[in-house]
Parts: sequence; structure tokens; C-alpha cells
Amino acid sequence: MSRHVTISGVSLEIEEKGQGRPLLFLHPGEGLQPNRPWLDALARNHHVIAPHHPGFGGSALPDWIGTVDDLAYLYLDLAAELKLENAVLAGNCFGGWIAAEMAVRNTARFAGLLLAAPLGIKVGGVLDRDITDMHAIPRSAFMRLAWADPAKGEIDYTKLPDTELAGIARGREALAVFGWKPYMHNPRLKHWLHRIDIPTHLIWGEQDGIVSTAYGEAWKAEIPSATMETIPDAGHYPHWEQPDLFAARVRAFTDRL
Amino acid sequence: MRTWYFSEMAYHPAWDKGLARGSLRVNFPSENLDPQEAGTLLNRYLDEFALCDDVGLDIMVNEHHSTATCMTVSVPMALAVIARETTKARLLSLGNPIANRPDPVRVAEEMAWLDCLSGGRIEMGLVKGAPYEIAPANSNPGRLMRRYWEAHDLIIKALSTTTGPFSWEGEFYQYRAVNIWPRPIQQPTPPIWMTGMSVETGIMAAEKGHVVGTLLSGGLAKPMYDAYRKRARERGWEAGPDRMAYAAIVGVGNTREEGLRRADIIADYVRTAPVVAEPFTNPPGYNSIGANVAMLKAGPRAHRMVTDRNGVPIDHRTATVGQFMDTDTVFAGTPDDVFNQLKAFNTRMGGVGHLLFFGQGGLLTHQDAKENIALFGKEVAPRLLELGAPEEAAAAE
Repeated sequence: MSRHVTISGVSLEIEEKGQGRPLLFLHPGEGLQPNRPWLDALARNHHVIAPHHPGFGGSALPDWIGTVDDLAYLYLDLAAELKLENAVLAGNCFGGWIAAEMAVRNTARFAGLLLAAPLGIKVGGVLDRDITDMHAIPRSAFMRLAWADPAKGEIDYTKLPDTELAGIARGREALAVFGWKPYMHNPRLKHWLHRIDIPTHLIWGEQDGIVSTAYGEAWKAEIPSATMETIPDAGHYPHWEQPDLFAARVRAFTDRL
Repeated sequence: MRTWYFSEMAYHPAWDKGLARGSLRVNFPSENLDPQEAGTLLNRYLDEFALCDDVGLDIMVNEHHSTATCMTVSVPMALAVIARETTKARLLSLGNPIANRPDPVRVAEEMAWLDCLSGGRIEMGLVKGAPYEIAPANSNPGRLMRRYWEAHDLIIKALSTTTGPFSWEGEFYQYRAVNIWPRPIQQPTPPIWMTGMSVETGIMAAEKGHVVGTLLSGGLAKPMYDAYRKRARERGWEAGPDRMAYAAIVGVGNTREEGLRRADIIADYVRTAPVVAEPFTNPPGYNSIGANVAMLKAGPRAHRMVTDRNGVPIDHRTATVGQFMDTDTVFAGTPDDVFNQLKAFNTRMGGVGHLLFFGQGGLLTHQDAKENIALFGKEVAPRLLELGAPEEAAAAE
């Protein structure tokens, strides 16, 4: 069940489930999709708190919010409002970028950082594309790159109610607002990753065609004592594609904290 | 009804290859263009524009990017040439895609410069631009219209301020000393135009009192014009035909067959121009939430059609001249035919004051293009000038 909270004047829709160590989960650019099994799987061992980013789902996108910096401060405020202690900060894809921007600012409420195929840093040269241009390829090609098994990711939009479709359309625009240029990254973020002072674990789908495991290695190199592991038969959204395996890996990480 | 001749200065020699690849825009590599041939074509097209001045037509120029359908990359550059080659024609920029321009003050400078150069003949379109223009400009489609309106307001203030400099600290643009030299002859600004295809655009244009134009879409034009007129009335003024513009292909000939033949050749532009790779057709944020909901519901294989006057869907990629005429995309035949078609169109639309005469799609020969322009200028345009609002037109008979 979702509820709404107002943080720094922004009305956020939040999904919350489970008991245990709090885990703030920041969703990918494709949305939260709370009806997929990932949420239940994670909630078996954690108190999962998963906001819909501003502009996505039922969360508002006020005119004054327009950068990932804003989202980082907003979610730090959310963590304070919820009085999180020793929590896990987790994010996938676009949500991983937000989580990293939070962690370079303030880790006081978090015991660990879990990044699953995060976007957000620039690694290669000017002619290298670190992050697949998801907006320059047909939807079918995107699905083939983003999923090990694209059939598992398919959504029949023609069957969804208008309110949900409107949320998807708003979310797609919001992702553009935050990540269009520079494309899905902050050119300066890499130089601040050294500030992350909590245990950090990177999870990568072996068939991720959006950001490669080599890109993951670049993240690992910048974050002090970060660890990394891959998940088989998973693409860019390992929590959706291998929910049980993903939850097990998350638990193994959080048990260490 | 005034007539503004335009052509997109297409690079048609590459069309077949583009069609085979399924995209003529954005991701169609320029190795498919021969620059020598491009130069020859540009000179030929500019000669066709210049001819309009001799036959009493006004001139419109637009721009697109990364495409075989249009080599005009900069409206101000093309108008600078045309301004020097003409003396009477009014010169319409339709226009500057201002939400894709990083520097709106530069837009104001260029328009003011052209207005001085041309002796006050510039009309200034401030347009949103087509969805596939987002990628070449790498402009953010999110919040596109908010950026559009800020650029719009800044350009108007830059053109109309004579006691600068002024500063501008907006959401998207920041300047500390705006003070353009030269300033335009036409004060406070040259006449302003917008383009669109929706009721919302009609309402927004009416709020500002700008001319609103639409392209090749009869079924969409009427609701937009009606919305404009209604909103103007609500705001206490009557929007006459001079606020409405419509772009269509016109082929005119000494015989009906000749006019239809010319229109058919020009119409190859319309059959070709919509062919663009899927991801560039609807960048997120470009279209409204409502329009995106409708597209998601329609499913991935739906192709947007226009409808003819009986509501029958027509696919522009394969339409015949007859079908194009039924959608008000093409007007064609003898001068009498074309005049009568446009008069009936004017009545159906409730009065359209500007015809944007698409008279060269690319494949039309220079000789045909010249004859099309000359015949239209001599035999059709003067009669169209007498066409006012439909009731005035009826009363004059």
C-alpha cells in the first residue's frame, strides 16, 4: 500500500513493506513498478521504503525541482523525516545515480550503499558512450539491451488504466528533465565518489546492455573499498529480472553491515 | 488571403536511400549527400525564391536539421540572401525553433538585423519545432514549452527595449546586459507568428494575438482556428482571417493535368518527409500527457494518420494527389480550379488570411517550379487577396 508524505514541500508517493533494517530503495528510470515480485522479495528481510521519484507515479514534480542534486537533497530530507538509522541506501539505474549523489553528501543515516547498475558518472572520452542512448533506439531494441529475457519485461500498455498510463508518461518526461543533458550523468560526480565513507556494494546483471560491467568496474575503482558482483540471467534491472537472487545478494550484503 | 511561397530546399537525390533505411532524418549519414550537388540545388532554390518578388508573392523560409528533406539549417542565413535579392516581398521566418536555441538574444539580434537589411519586411515566427528536431539540437524535451515561453518573452523584450541594457535572470536563460544593436525598424517588434496543430496552440496564440499557422492538416486546422477565435472573443477582440495561416502544396498549370502533375511531384515531399526512425518521433515531454496516453493505448504499431473531409484516414506516405486534395494538403489544377478550391477552403475554415504556398518539394524541375510560381502569382494570388472572411467574400459576389 502506498501513502503520501510531503517533504520539503514536495508530495511524494511512497511504497512501504516489510520488517527489519530500513532499506530506502530508489527506482530506475523505468519507474517503481511495485507490483513486480521484487518488492515482496526484498521486504522479507527489510523494511523497504520506496518513493516514486518526483514526476513518477503519484509523486509531484514542482517547477523548481529539475536536477538530480534536488532529488539527492529531497531524499536526504526524507531519510531525516522518517528518522532512518543504520539504514541501507539502495538504487538501480537512475535511482543508483541519485543514491550516489546522496552518499557523497551525507551518509549519517545509512550503514551501507547498494548500487545496482547505476547511471551517473562519465568514464570514457568525448567520443565514448558509457551509457546507451536509450532515447535514440526503438523500444524493441531498448528492451533487448535492458533485459536478459525481454519477454519478462514486456508490459501491455494497451491494457493499463489511463491514470497509470498518465503516470508512465509523466515519469518519462521527468526522466528527461533530470537526465537529458548531459545524458544520464553528472560530469563531476566521479570526482566526489571518494567521499563515500560507508560500505558500498555494486550489483550488475551479466547481460546488462545499458551500462556494461566495465562501467561498473570504474565505479568500484572510485569508491573506497567497494565490492562488486554480477548476477546471471539478468540485464539492467536485476531486481526485476532475478528478484529472489537479487534479494539474497542484498541480504548477504546487509548482514555484513 | 496573402500568399507566401516556400520550399524546404530539400536534398532529394538521397531520398531513395533514406526511404530504404527507413529514416531520412537524424540518423541518416551525410555521406549520402554530395556537397557540390547541394550547392547547385541551394542556388537553384534561392533563384526560385527570388522570382517571387517579381510576381508579387511574399516569401516564407523554415529550417530543419540533419535531414535530406530540408537543407535550410538557418532561417536567418537564407533570409539574408533573399532580402538582398528582393525589394517588395515580405519575408517570413517560420521560423526560429526557439526552445532549441541556446541563445534567444542572438535570435533577437538576427531578426532585428534582417529587419533593418530588408527595410522592415520581416515577419518573425517563434516556433516549437518538430519532435525530430530535439535530437540534432540535443535540446531537453522535458519542460520544452516552459523554455519556449521564456525564450519568447526574452526575444520580444530584447527587440522592443530601446533603453537597455536590461538583465534577465530566468529559469532557463540568464543575461546581465541585453542591449541589441541594431534594433528592428518595425516597432515594438516585427509581426509574430506561431505554428501548431492543436487546440491548445490556438488558445495560446490567441492569448498573445500572434498569427497562428499550421501545416498540411486540414482536419486539425479548423479546431485550432476555432479555438483561437473563441479565445480572442473571450478576451474582447475579434480575430480576423489575418491571424490564421495554412500551409499547403499548390500545383497550378495552364491545363488541369499540368497542375495536377506538378502537385503530384511536389507531394513526393510529403510522402517522404514523415519517414523518420521511431525513437525521434516522440521524445518524452514533447507531446502532452494526454497525447502520450492515447499513443500508449493505441499500441506500438499504430501510425498516425490524417483524415479527409469525410473522416476517412489517409496515410501521407502513400497518398495519391486526389487523397491529398481531400485532406486539404494539396490544391491543384488550373488557376480557376485552384482559386475555387482555396475559396471553398477559406469558407470551410471560417477565414484564413495567409496561404503558405509549398511550391517546390525538391523533385520539381526548375522550369516547372518557375512556371508554378509565375502562374500562381499572376493568375491566383491577386484574386486570393480579395478573399476576406467568408461572409465578406460572399457579400462581395
